[in-house]
Amino acid sequence: MPPSRPHIVVEDLRIGWGTRVLMEHVSFEIERGTTLAILGGSGSGKSTLLRYLIGLEQPMAGRIDIDGVGEPHVYRGVPPFGVLFQSGALFSSLTLAENLALPLTTWTGIRGPAVQDFVQAKLGLVGLGAFAGHLPGEISGGMKKRAGIARAMMLEPDLLFFDEPSAGLDPISAVELDHLIVTLSRDLGITIVIVTHELASIFLVADTCIVLDKEAKGIVARGDPQRLRDESAIPFVHNFFTRSSPGAPATREG
Amino acid sequence: MSNMMSVTIRAEADGERARLVPVGAFDLAHASAVVRAVEQAERDLNASGDVDLHLSALERIDGSGAVLLARLVDRLEARGLRTHLIEDRNPHAARLITLYRKRRAEARPQPARTMGTLAQLGSVAAAVPGMVTAALDFLGHATAAVPRAFLSPRSVNWSSVPRLMQTIGADGLPVTSAANLLVGVIIGFLGVSQLERFGAVVYVPELVVIAQFRELGPLVTAIVVAGRSGAGLASELATMQVSEEIDALRSMGFHPVSWLVVPRCLALVATVPLLTWIGDVLALGGGLLATIAITDMTPRAYVLATAEHITATHFLNGMIKTPFLGLIIGLIACGQGLAARGGAAAVGARTTTAVVLAIFGVIVISALFTLLFTLLGI
Repeated sequence: MPPSRPHIVVEDLRIGWGTRVLMEHVSFEIERGTTLAILGGSGSGKSTLLRYLIGLEQPMAGRIDIDGVGEPHVYRGVPPFGVLFQSGALFSSLTLAENLALPLTTWTGIRGPAVQDFVQAKLGLVGLGAFAGHLPGEISGGMKKRAGIARAMMLEPDLLFFDEPSAGLDPISAVELDHLIVTLSRDLGITIVIVTHELASIFLVADTCIVLDKEAKGIVARGDPQRLRDESAIPFVHNFFTRSSPGAPATREG
Repeated sequence: MSNMMSVTIRAEADGERARLVPVGAFDLAHASAVVRAVEQAERDLNASGDVDLHLSALERIDGSGAVLLARLVDRLEARGLRTHLIEDRNPHAARLITLYRKRRAEARPQPARTMGTLAQLGSVAAAVPGMVTAALDFLGHATAAVPRAFLSPRSVNWSSVPRLMQTIGADGLPVTSAANLLVGVIIGFLGVSQLERFGAVVYVPELVVIAQFRELGPLVTAIVVAGRSGAGLASELATMQVSEEIDALRSMGFHPVSWLVVPRCLALVATVPLLTWIGDVLALGGGLLATIAITDMTPRAYVLATAEHITATHFLNGMIKTPFLGLIIGLIACGQGLAARGGAAAVGARTTTAVVLAIFGVIVISALFTLLFTLLGI
């Protein structure tokens, strides 16, 4: 059986604005059904890279292929993926049910009770089945994120992008969200790209990762997160995974 | 999305045990066909005990297909039937259906969000006391901010005043000037058309001066400022409110009314008179253009007649209103902005309300001043 094509191929990507290059020579592949974490410090370009992957910006140079189709910035119609934005990005004037029904009724011929079946099923998947009639302003930040995930899944994509899903969540909500991400990946076989700097999340959900660095303007390390934590000789990577800074004071003994 | 591939559910009976065999692609692309197939299967099924759902003939299944099959199983069990998922070398399908059955949650019935006319009237009436209280509360804070500004100058963001005057005044000058110029033209045309029949075209310059200086200049300028700058100020503060920037200010010890509202009102109080004054001059020019365009009056004659009728009374009559008009625009726009709650929809709603109330407010203020001056005989 021939090896399956990677789900996402990024080749020699250069991104930036005007004469300012944010990162260059960025190349990586994401295998189908795996979870890739994009890591890095603040300002390293994690979320910016995500914007290019989902086609909100056009790169200065390089190639982005999703399932063999290039140039995500010129997609027409429905992109073959779902996105969870950092704040959830739910439409504040629509209820959760209406938010989720919108892509379904816009891009498919599904109408009537089946729409509500699908909406309730996705809300149930993320634990929000009882909140279908609520407006986004009436639910918590963590619930908004889960609703955002449900909406991202409405068109059954096999690829999901998450931008800092745990940001702003309490530890319990964050770990619940992590478990949901693991369920999506392992039970539904969805390829997931997650931008995060939450170490606990990384080790729980990511199969592999790439580490960006602002100074290096690109990827400085890649691979299994635990292996990078334990074996990387790159000081930035080691400090990132062990939450230590170069000038940190020595911890008190005893 | 295509529905060309055949999608069915075979319903077979074997004594007390029945079989349901989904065949084809049970995915989002074929969702409509799957819905029909499920409905047909329920009608065709003739079972009283056990129902086996065989998954071997499924060519493809995703979340959508799994949801519909999961709901089918739920309904069968609700009828008292015992259902069994037969994987038949399709563990992925069994896993999906089980996942959606396990994570199912019933929707809680939500209170209806639409109201009848009577209920809407009642809702509005019930909200009036709260609105009045909130308005008086804001007015109280604004009033208290004035002495605070003198006693504690650091409570006000004075450095924002020049930028605000630039935005409200200088940037708004082309619009207010154009509006007043056109108003002058309109008064000129109107005056000529009505006074010509009495041979009284010579009074058109006086008409333009009186109408523009006393009433239309301040009113038109204020309405344009209310629409342009009132909307901008309301949406700016509303956005700050919904994004918790106002909360952040308060957490740092700033009083939002002092810090934000005072400089904005100050900028409006300073710029609306200036905009009105410039608008008045341009309106005189508009009246001149209109009159000389359609009558024999020479520009020199028009200008001399205008100069003869420009009096301090007419000028001050109008200009005295302008700071108050600026103030009412500022208070309404800022008050509405700070009252925003919710998201983007709230910003839009408060901005719209601010513009409508501000325009109404300037008309009321103008009318009150006109009444006062009439009673005073000036």
